Parts: sequence; C-alpha cells; structure tokens
Amino acid sequence: MKRKSKRGLGLVAIAASGALVLAGCSSDSGDSAATDGATSSATDEAAVEDGGKTGGTVNILLQSDQILHLDPQRNYTGVDLAFMTGYMQRTLTAYKFAEGAEGVTIVPDMATDLGTPNADATSWAFTIRDGVTFEDGTAVGCADVKYGVSRTFAQDVITDGPTYAISLLDIASTEDGSSVYKGPYLTEGNDVAAFDQAITCSEDNKTITFNLKRPAGDFNYTVTLTAFSPVPAAADTGEGYDNAPVSSGPYKISEYTKGQRMVLVRNEAWNPDSDDYRPAYPDEVVVQFSLDPSAIDQRLIADAGDDQTAVTMAGLTPESLATVFAGGDPRFAERSVDGFDPYVRYYTINSAKVPNKMHRQAIVVALNRAELLTIAGGDFAGTQGDGVIKPNLATDYAESGMWTDLFGGEVPDAGNVELAKQLIADSGEPMPLITFDYPQTPTNDKAAASVQASLAAAGIEVKLNPIEAGQYYGVVLDPEQQNELNSAGWGPDWQNASTVIPELFGANGGFNLSRVDDAEFEALVQTALGTVDRTAQADQWKELNKYAMEQAWAVPTRFGKIQYLWGSKVGNAFLWDAYGSLPFGDLYVMQ
Amino acid sequence: MTFLSVKDLQVSFQTEDGVVHAVDGVTFDLEKGKTLAIVGESGSGKSVTAQAIMGLHTGRGVKISGEINLGGMDLVGASDSTLRSMRGNSMAMIFQDPFASLHPFYRIGNQLAEAVTAHRKVSKKEARAEALRMLIKVGIPNPDQRIDDYPHQLSGGMRQRVMIAMALINGPELLIADEPTTALDVTVQAQILELLSELQAEFNTAIILITHDLGIVADMADEIVVMYGGRIVERAGLHELFYQPQMPYTVGLLASVPRLDSAGNRLLSIGGQPPSLISLPSGCVFHPRCAAMNAGSEERCKGERPDLRDVGEGHMVRCHLDDEERTAFATKRLAEVFTGE
Amino acid sequence: MTAYVIRRILTGVVILILLSMVVFLVFNALPADPAALTCGKSCNPQVIEANRIRLGLDQPLYIQYWEFVRAIFVGRTYGSGTATFQCNAPCLGYSFRKGEEVTPLILKALPVTLWLSFGAFLLWLIPGVLLGIYASRRRGRWQERSVLGAALVGYSFPSFFIGLLLLFFVVIRWQWLPYPNYVSPFEDPVQFLQTMVLPWITLALVYMAFYIRLTRNQLLETYSEDYIRTARAKGLKEGTVIRKHALRAGLTPIVTAAGLDLAGLLGGAIITESIFSLPGVGRLAVEAVVDADLAIITATVLIAGTFIVIANIVVDLLYAVIDPRVRLS
Repeated sequence: MKRKSKRGLGLVAIAASGALVLAGCSSDSGDSAATDGATSSATDEAAVEDGGKTGGTVNILLQSDQILHLDPQRNYTGVDLAFMTGYMQRTLTAYKFAEGAEGVTIVPDMATDLGTPNADATSWAFTIRDGVTFEDGTAVGCADVKYGVSRTFAQDVITDGPTYAISLLDIASTEDGSSVYKGPYLTEGNDVAAFDQAITCSEDNKTITFNLKRPAGDFNYTVTLTAFSPVPAAADTGEGYDNAPVSSGPYKISEYTKGQRMVLVRNEAWNPDSDDYRPAYPDEVVVQFSLDPSAIDQRLIADAGDDQTAVTMAGLTPESLATVFAGGDPRFAERSVDGFDPYVRYYTINSAKVPNKMHRQAIVVALNRAELLTIAGGDFAGTQGDGVIKPNLATDYAESGMWTDLFGGEVPDAGNVELAKQLIADSGEPMPLITFDYPQTPTNDKAAASVQASLAAAGIEVKLNPIEAGQYYGVVLDPEQQNELNSAGWGPDWQNASTVIPELFGANGGFNLSRVDDAEFEALVQTALGTVDRTAQADQWKELNKYAMEQAWAVPTRFGKIQYLWGSKVGNAFLWDAYGSLPFGDLYVMQ
Repeated sequence: MTFLSVKDLQVSFQTEDGVVHAVDGVTFDLEKGKTLAIVGESGSGKSVTAQAIMGLHTGRGVKISGEINLGGMDLVGASDSTLRSMRGNSMAMIFQDPFASLHPFYRIGNQLAEAVTAHRKVSKKEARAEALRMLIKVGIPNPDQRIDDYPHQLSGGMRQRVMIAMALINGPELLIADEPTTALDVTVQAQILELLSELQAEFNTAIILITHDLGIVADMADEIVVMYGGRIVERAGLHELFYQPQMPYTVGLLASVPRLDSAGNRLLSIGGQPPSLISLPSGCVFHPRCAAMNAGSEERCKGERPDLRDVGEGHMVRCHLDDEERTAFATKRLAEVFTGE
Repeated sequence: MTAYVIRRILTGVVILILLSMVVFLVFNALPADPAALTCGKSCNPQVIEANRIRLGLDQPLYIQYWEFVRAIFVGRTYGSGTATFQCNAPCLGYSFRKGEEVTPLILKALPVTLWLSFGAFLLWLIPGVLLGIYASRRRGRWQERSVLGAALVGYSFPSFFIGLLLLFFVVIRWQWLPYPNYVSPFEDPVQFLQTMVLPWITLALVYMAFYIRLTRNQLLETYSEDYIRTARAKGLKEGTVIRKHALRAGLTPIVTAAGLDLAGLLGGAIITESIFSLPGVGRLAVEAVVDADLAIITATVLIAGTFIVIANIVVDLLYAVIDPRVRLS
C-alpha cells in the first residue's frame, strides 16, 4: 500500500476534521465531482506552443519539513514517488503522464519495453536503454539496479520502504521469517549467492532478470516503485544516502536544507535521447518546506509573482475549499481539480471474532454510511464506496452491487436496519458484542458514536475502543489485541488490484485485518496474481472484490477525495491517478 | 516682617463623587524664624494647605485660588518650573512616614546629594560632601558610613533625621513639617522636635508644623491655626490658644490631649466623625459634633455659616456663640479634664 | 551575594536534572510504545522487537536514562551490527525519522529562535514600557484610553491570527515583502531582515500590550508612593522623578515578566515560527510531536526548560541588582 506513515495518517485526519467544519457552513458546495471523481479543468496544452514550454522555475510549496525519503529504496509515499520519479529517479517502467484511466497505465522508462515474463510469470526480464546515466555521467547498468534492489534487504538501515523485493524475489527465508540475504552492508552470515541467483545480469550488463517466488503477472507494475531503481554502489552511504541521492533523471539537487528549501537544477549528464518519458520542461524546481498550510492556500489563491508557477503536494485545506470551488469562481476554474485520492476508507470486520457471515453482513447493512461521510467532511472528503477497489484504479474497478442486491435487499446510504435485524434473526445465533477499534481523533470519535448508534438501532451492541492514533496499527495488527471491528484505510502500491485484494484479504496479506481464512478465495487470488493478461486479471479482481464484499469482511465507508489548486502559469497540471498527485515530471511553466 | 502670606486660599478637587472643597478661605501670615502650627483632624485640610504652598497639587481636576505669597513671589499663579526651582530650595517639606518617604532602592547619601544637584551646579563629590555635612548636622552617628546605607538599614528616628537633612540641605527659608513625629516613638518624637527647634534657631527658618496633636505644638509653635472641614476655625498665639480657647472644637482638642499637669486621668474625645468634604453640614460645619450648642444658638448654628471673627488681639474664632457662652463652655469642659470631676 | 548566585545556580542544576527525569519518565510512561512508533505499517511484533533493541528500549528505564545523560557528556554509539554509528558528545540523542543527530539539529535551530526572540523582545519591551509610561502620565485622558484600547486589541488577538493577517496582506496580497525564507544575518542581512520583520512585529504586538498595561499599572501605583512625593518636594525634574524614582521602583514585576516571556520564546515560538516558516526550535518541536519523534521532543523540552531555569536565575539576580533589600537580606 501507499504506506500510511504516521505523518500521512495525521494529515488525513487533520484534513478530515477540517472538512467537517466546512460542511457545516457551505451546504451547496457541489456534488459535481461526486460521481466520476476527476473533473480536472486543465486544458492549457493547446494554448501554448510546444517551444514555449521549456524554461522557468516550478515552485513546490510544502507544509512538511522534508521529503520524507529521497532514498529510492525507502521512498514509499505516493506524492514523494511522483516527485522523485518525475525529476531524479528513473525506473524500469513508469506511469503515463495522462488524465483518467490512461494515467494508471505503464510505459517503458529506463527499460526498452514493458518487460518480458516467462510462461508462468515467475521470471521477468528488462533491458536497459542505451544512454541512461547517473549524474556523474557513468552509465546505468543492470548491476546498479541490482545493487539498488539489494539495499531493501538491509532492513535495519533501509527502513520504511516497500518490501516487495523480499516477498517476491526467489530467496529462501530463515526460521524467523526473515530473508537469508541481509543486504549489501553485511559480509558475514549473509547468503549473497541466493541474491545473485534471484537477480541476474546479462553479459553486457544491459538486461536484468528477476526470478520470483511465485507468479506475478503484474511485476512490470511493481518495478514502477523506486525500490527497484538503480543506486551507484560507490555513492551509497547507507543511512546518509537519504539526504543526498544520486540522480539518474533530468534534474539533480543543488541545494537542500531540510525545513527550508530544496533546489533542483538540470542534470547535464542526463541524455534526453535515452528518456522518452520525461519532457523536463523547467530549468529549475524549487521546493519550499515548512510552510503554514493556510499560507500555502492563500498564496495559490492570490496567484501573484513566483506563486503563479507554484504547485503543492498536499491538497487544499478544508477552509479554502469554499473559496476555490463553491462559488464557481472563474479565477480558479482553470487551475483547480477536485477528484479521487488513492485511498479507500473502510471498516474491517474480524472474521476470526465474528465467524458468522450473516452477523458480519448485519453490521455492513446497519451502518449509516451517509452520516459517516458527513462527519468525514461531506462531498469534498469523498463519495460513498462500494468495495475496496476504487474507480481511479480504472482497469480493476467495477460496481460491486453490494448496496443493491448482495445482501438480499436494497441498502441505502443511511443503512437498512430492518434488513440487519432480519440477517441476525436468520443467522440462528445471538449477535456477539462488537468492540470497535479506531485511532482517536475528534472526527473519529464522532464517527465512532455514529457507528454505535446506527448498529444499536439494529440491535447490535457496540463498545468503543479508541486507540492513540500513532499506535493504532501497531495494536490492531496484533491478533491478540485486535477486536471485532476496525477502522482502516488503504491505497494500492501500484496501479493493480494485486496490491489491494491479496494484501487485504489474502492468506499472506500484510494488512489482513479481516483475518480471512477462506481456501476457495485464496485459490482464486493466486490465480489472479499469476495472470499476465491485464484484462483477464482485472476481471478476476472485480469478482474477488465482490466476493469479499459479499463475505462482509469489510465495509467501505468512503472513496477519499482530494482537491488541488495550482498557479495560473503552470502547464500540464491535472490530477494524476497514478499517485493521486499532480504529474510533477510533466509540469511546465507558461512563458 | 511677614515672610509667608496666605490669603483666602481655596483648594478643590474634582473627583468621581463630586467636587471636594478641601481648603476654603484659609488665611494666615508667617514671619522668618517663627513657627506656625496647623492643627486638625485628618481631612481638615491642613496637609492640602501645605502641599498647595509647595505646589505639589499637580493632578488633573485640582483648582487652587487665592494668594500664596512667599518672600514677595506669588506661588498660585507661578509656572511649574518656577515652583520646581523653589521646592527643596527656598521651601522644603518633611513628611509623616520617613520610611515610606525615602526611596527604598537608593543609598541615603545619593538621595541627599540628588537634592543638592537638583538646584546647584556642583560636582557629585561636592554634593556628597554637602550630604555628609548635613548628616552630621542632624546628628546621625557614624555619618561617613551611614551615608552609604539604604533606608531600610536605619531606625525610624534616623530616617526622619535624614529627611530633615534632605529638607534643609539647600537652606530653605520655609520648612513645612507635616506630622513629622507621628510615626515615631515618643522618646524619638521629642528628639526630632528639639532638632527642628535647634536648626530653626540656626537657619532662621520659618516653620509650618502640621499636626493633629496639640500636645506636640506646645513647645514649638508661636502661633496656632486650628482647621476643621477645610476652614480655619480658630487662630491665636500659643499662650492665648492654650489658656483662652474659644472654639468648642479647640476645647475638644485640648481636652483630648494627655497632659502631665492634669490632675484627672480622663481624656475626653470629641464624639462623631469629621465631616465629608463633598457634602458639608449646613450652618457651622462643626455643629453636628458641637457639645456647646444650646437651644438659643441651635437655629443659627444649623442654618448659618459663621464668619471668622476677631475676639481680641488677633485671636480669631469662627463660632456663633457669644463670648460668655464660649468661655463658660471652655472653662467647664477643661475643668472636667484637669480636675477629674 | 556570590553565595547567593552559587546557590541559585545549583538549585537550577537540580531542577534541570529533575526535569530531565520527568521528561524521560513521562515519555516512557505514556501508553504509547516508542518502539511501536518507530515502525510504520508493515509492523509486526518481530520488527517492533528488533527496533526496541536497536533503540536500547529493551533496557530498564533507569539504564536508558543513564545512557541518555551519559551521552550528553561522553557521546554514545547507536545501533548494532552493520548499522552502528557514533553520536558525539554532547549527544542529545538520534532522530531515526530525520536520520540525524539531535544536537546539530538543535544547534542549527537555536540561532533562529535566538534572533527571533531577542528581536521581538526589544521590539515589544522598549515601546511597551515607553507607551506604558506615556499612558500613566496621561491618566484619565484620551491619550491613555487610546493607548490602552490599542493595547487591548493587540492583546485579544492570538499570535496566529496577527501572524497570518500580516503574512496574507503584507506578503501574499500586497507583496511588499518576499515570502519569509530564513538566512543567517551574517550571510544576507537584507533577506534576514525581510524575513524577520513580520515575525518580530507579530510577537511584539502580542506581547507589547501586556507590558503597556503592566508598566502603566505599576507606575500609577508608585506615583502614589510617599517617596515619589519626596522626590517632587526635592524639586527634581518630572522626567527624573519618573525615570529614576517611579520606574525603578516599578521595575521588578516588569523584569520578572520580561525574563519569563523571553525564556518562553527561547524555548520555541511555536506558532510564529510555524507561520513564518522559521526553522527554529519551536518548529522543530512541533514537527517532532507530529512525527512522534521522541528524541527531538525530549531534547526540545529540555532546552525550553533550561531557558526557563536560566531566566529564573537571571530574574532573581536582577531583583538583587534592582532592590538592595533583596541583596542585603
């Protein structure tokens, strides 16, 4: 998943609570974007001649004091990935800079094509293009990618990053579950040979082959993660590499003071002929850190001076939404967007503690989801969800029909108390006491009260268990401490439901809060994982999503939304579904 | 020769509750080397009169009229800077509480020297020498050490000596002593009064001694002014006033003074409270407390403000009673005290 | 006097030691598990346990505390196996989120906060006291009411409101100043001033009101003191009376308030630093709280506490300088 780092969660929580305030004071803020998610109005491309796009400075305004991780193996946050891949870190494949469904399709970046799998998709080969170099001019080869991937295995140094290299590469595990390979920093007690077999390089150092533990039909999506991108071994300083990564893209860092500024300038060693992906329009990219969030909004609204070429990585604060969207103000229509973020908000129902399916379904249908959305902030916070796959995961989404016929009756947004009572009666067993775990925030407290009330109406007793927000996942991921009902959120790690369905409900899923133990379901998941044909695979995910909903392992409460505003001289800005961000690498300054 | 002449002095304050006529028609003269005592209860206007002479009423809402003539200069109409140049120079003042009146954060030598440099162009060293000279003069023991003491390191009597030194350091012609001994022990009181007398003899200073205690003026005053409700109610020479008091209020004050020569041990205090200056009683302002008022005079005492009348040899009295009634009351009342009857 | 100073300093040191213990205890007694905080969402009990050992959190609390204190004096080595690294004395800990030692982070943030605090301090104290004197001299007149009224307005708006207002209008709307971007005054004095002027004004407006009222009230109280009458009776000029006699006497509470306010700011002007993007101690602390970065939180709390303790000592010593009764008793 796009890791809910503690920081990420905190921001989401802040945004949600603020949105609630807004909902109270602007009733007609519009449901324009409620159905199709992305309603970007950026149509500036035609207005500007191609030649007028090059040059200028793109300003990125941030509330945070740093980019959480610049180290490619540690970078795991959606917008940070969009930033790094757009400017400095080349990957084997990358998401197309495009609006809508096209934006979640992949194109070759460093690789010559989208990769070649073997018959059962347990081995993938990519060939690196000629002319790809690091910022010192040395060519990037297979060995550099391999070295980069090896760093993920040094789990004590390379923290916070995605661990797909460990879970997918064909390397044995020790008794305690960790890999026998411990990364590039350890010489003793380290099975380097196992790693050398898992990733092989061709003689000419151009072709890299990944040998996998299991079929992975979408491994060419996996390698969009910077965790699978090159690092020059000579420049690797371990922990310190996070502050000074070596660029392979069109820009490099010329100045970086955490809490203040980062300046990216053109990387002269970058060869445009080797890169069909990045247009590299601006001469300079300046990131300003530690700005007050409302000051960021005000600067974008004022749109004066350098701020005319400014963008952000975080969405607008709820306080600014009315100004930007509610009035249909023409000043903002051309430079704002209101659309889906990557996250699905949902409550998991612990099937180990609520084994009776009808009991779980009773919880699902009894919830007043309309009220929950209002509490979360209304239309700007999201739309009603109907599964754990979101419409902006375009290929894999289909309506699950859970609210029309999956549970034997229509379930309106406000819930269906009678149906819930019927399901409990039909279950033949008394409904157990439900304890609801949730990270404590003011907004979540209100939501929890709503859950308690709506389930009580159906005769389900709910006990609330607020947990300190920073500790929340640490607690509920422990089966010993987890209760019946849990608040959760999830975004795909790459644009394939293979990072949603198996993670949330699969036997090896890292986020299986539903504690699913269903052999039939697991077999179908494994089949889908090994399917290389993207269309066929998508059909399977759609069915599995429906299956999971019918089993009532989870109830979606919201397809989250985000709103961006950018300066009037920023070209090519739109909501890029690949990362739920702006397409940083594609932005240009209108001259 | 008249040195200070106060004529028909009026002082009123504008307050939130109304206009306070603190001093109303005060008139007196004073010669160099002489002592005038102004006696009265608190609120009688005696301190206000003194501060009016010093020009210390600077706040808003203060109205002063009449005439204050000091050595040929009219002080009522004088500018702030003129008054400032005279304060502490040709006229000086000492106060009731010597501890509160000295700045707690500065050495006494410093505070004395400051009074010198405020009026004379002298070096700090000279000012300090002057301060030391005055400390010796007022009888401070170990003056060259005490000069660097802070006020809290001195006894009450020493502090008042310092205050006297500070007041006299520029050789003023007029010294106003406002209750100079009230805050001090009885034994120290006598020493301070003696010191004032000695210094007066040496400098030929005119002194206005303000007190509520007739007892302490007996040794010092040449003339006594008794004030009540902002007005002078009796004015006479020391001997005249003590032996021929005319105003029932003065009689009351005398009766309340503990005296060594009184055979009895009864002290008669005057009943009642001093009048509110905002709403003075009608008629004679003293009438609500007056024990001498009789059926015959009651109507006039309550209805008509008495004038200050000369009852002989400059003895002025503000009373409606005739000479006979007044003398009879005074004799009877004082006899009660002195004989213990 | 010397004994007094030594006694106050020793007391201060004891307080700081106690403070460090309390801070340590509070953060470790929280329901939050610091080890759990270090691991994101791929958390499982094994990862938490490994991090616990890596951070030394598996040790008993008193040993952790001892290690913390020892590191301040002799430094310490973090991690184990491949990922060891040295944190040199004075080592205030290591931030795993920022990937940096805490001491340099603090040392980098401290000058910003010092400039901010002292600049604002002068800007509110001097005009505040002068206006307070002015108001006291114009008691009951329109000038006093205007000064006090204006002060009340400043007093009733919180700093984030004033700060944002200034930022929005002066910088964003009217563009009279560039967006705040801190540099050292030795590097670029113009940009430094451009960055600092609004934060200074913000803090000054917030704090000044209090000093106007305090000074006025103190002076009005001292004006009625007998020694002020004595000073006037001496024939001193009115200016001398106020400056040398009245103000000096009313100074003690002003010094107290000023000392503690300054110390509070030195511990981090959280809101102002955040609004104006100043990389000072306050913002470091806020970010640490957001990130649950215990090493930085502990260090910033200790720094703030140190300033408060120092300020208290300085204020006490100033009392003695101002008031001989304190000095000589």
